[in-house]
Amino acid sequence: MAQLRPHANSSPLARHAPTTMRTGEALSFSDELHLEAHRWLVNESYLLDAQDYGTWLESIAHDVHYFMPVRVTTALGAGYSTSPGMAHWDENRYSLERRVARFQTEHAWTEDPPSRLRHFITNVRTFRTDVENEIAVDSAVLLFRSRGDVNEPSLISAGRDDLLRKVDGRWMLARRHILVDESVLRTQNLAIFL
Amino acid sequence: MDTIQQVLADVRRGMIPAHIYNDAEIFELEKERLFSRAWMFVGHESEIPQPGDYVVRRVLEDSFIISRDEQGTIRALFNMCLHRGMQVCRAEMGNASHFRCPYHGWSYRNDGRIIGLPFHKEAYGGEEGFARKGATLLPAPNLANYNGLLFVNMDPDAMPLDEYLGDFKFYLDYYTKQSASGIELRGPQRWRIKANWKIGVENFAGDMYHTPQTHTSVVEIGLFREPKAEKRKDGMTYWAGRGGGTTYKLPPGDLEERLAYIGYPPEMIERMKQLWSTDQLQLIGEDAFMISAASLFPNMSFVHNWPKVEEEGDEVVPFISLRMWQPVSENETEVMSWFAVDAEAPEEFKELSYKAYLMCFGSTGMFEQDDVENWVSLTNTAKGSMARRLLLNSRMGMLNDGTPVVPALTREEFSGAGSAYVGYSEHNQRNFLQEWADHLEKPPVVAPSHAVGITNGQLDQYSSKGA
Repeated sequence: MAQLRPHANSSPLARHAPTTMRTGEALSFSDELHLEAHRWLVNESYLLDAQDYGTWLESIAHDVHYFMPVRVTTALGAGYSTSPGMAHWDENRYSLERRVARFQTEHAWTEDPPSRLRHFITNVRTFRTDVENEIAVDSAVLLFRSRGDVNEPSLISAGRDDLLRKVDGRWMLARRHILVDESVLRTQNLAIFL
Repeated sequence: MDTIQQVLADVRRGMIPAHIYNDAEIFELEKERLFSRAWMFVGHESEIPQPGDYVVRRVLEDSFIISRDEQGTIRALFNMCLHRGMQVCRAEMGNASHFRCPYHGWSYRNDGRIIGLPFHKEAYGGEEGFARKGATLLPAPNLANYNGLLFVNMDPDAMPLDEYLGDFKFYLDYYTKQSASGIELRGPQRWRIKANWKIGVENFAGDMYHTPQTHTSVVEIGLFREPKAEKRKDGMTYWAGRGGGTTYKLPPGDLEERLAYIGYPPEMIERMKQLWSTDQLQLIGEDAFMISAASLFPNMSFVHNWPKVEEEGDEVVPFISLRMWQPVSENETEVMSWFAVDAEAPEEFKELSYKAYLMCFGSTGMFEQDDVENWVSLTNTAKGSMARRLLLNSRMGMLNDGTPVVPALTREEFSGAGSAYVGYSEHNQRNFLQEWADHLEKPPVVAPSHAVGITNGQLDQYSSKGA
């Protein structure tokens, strides 16, 4: 986890975001909470592949912080590997809604024709937190994105540090910190979600 | 097969051979004759505020350490060890008193001077074999600063930056000098797109015509109220010095009301009034034009927009972004996109302005997403043999005989620098390509080579003394 920690609260827009902290070791892979978390992530990946963002938004909490800082190459021991004060995404519920609303217009040209997407989700582990009904879930995501017939496909590899909250019997995404593995992205834009 | 002279002649009459957007030979000429002598943006003072701070930036294939030394002087040092040519700094940013080459351990102060040369005496016989004194990482041929913007020029005989920018400085100030403290930069976001570098430059320089079509969706979702077709064509495009840009026409009101309309708080407006020239203030207050996108030759662009970023209320927040279209090849460009904000702006303004930037431009920006899709597609199509037969018509705003569709604004209508036309046109794209064509006709730059560690005239042929 040391890898994901440094940037965790470095966004100027994170003041209203949940501050829940994970506790203890990762849960057993047979733990009911872990199984629920894993199932939630896999189901989510199918929604993101299908660009069914309307349904996806239904499982996003009102106080969500969806954050992907810009990675930079720094010397060993520099103590940071993200660009101070700069992100690719630094979203709250409203800005995520606007992004989804745009894809739902008939004029979001960048995804017409749509990309063929496959989110591969792996390395899932789950932690209890200091808040009841909230769990922390780590995962790795590899996105394969193909556009047109012979354009070179693009790959985005990232680690994710999620906070899931149970509300009325359903898990909702309350925080997602994405640590993308490239400093210079090799994809034409981020008209996708991770 | 057309000759380069034919290509340039076509470009000069506003007819663009489509293949210039994906042509390896043209790209070689651009490297040899254009990027070799144009002033290229490498960063901003605010990115390296403290002694020892550095960022590493490329000018095409050349890597430079942009460093602030212990005395506070900013330098651009070629990132190559004087001994075997290893990169001496392999991070993108940081703070260092010196850079040590990992290969043989030569080390350099952050002003470029050699400080450590292992076994200098034993291996070289000391100063007589390798003159360490005065040896320094190779500085960029030219480094200059305007409003904190740092530019490098690879031509030792380059014209001064001030002269190069010319009247474009009038507009550069709106983006980079809203208070005496200037801007601070964050980022850049970096990503690579399979598009020719010129397309984005031309788009930002003057393409108001694409806004209502390409960016329909951002108006539909309530992010931006301005780009509706009837509004965009009321703006003017200007060309001044080596850059040009687009504007929006603002609703009736005075200077303060118009700056407030796009979201500037009173204290920021007050500082602009103190700092900007009478003409700079009148362009907004009297002529009702507000700067939006712009490009500076050859490959730097600017954006200034004012979206609605919060759910409650109707308030908009302005943001500024700077960017480089760094060519990788004839069909690939690395975009480097920075968020810029006035250093004296209130913290709350800075946060919302950052939010506005992320929602609109950059790697995730909702405007930007649709632009890049178009440019990648254009670049792909420009590759084949049919593109070599097609002359794209880039004569918008001009009749067959060369007279403009609408006359240039007069001094009574327009307080800005350069020439300006209201409405849709491609005057700016043509001005950009005119400058491009002028550069491609120049001879290649001749630059001296630098021999390191030797005293001129004392070097003997290594073979003459034998082993």
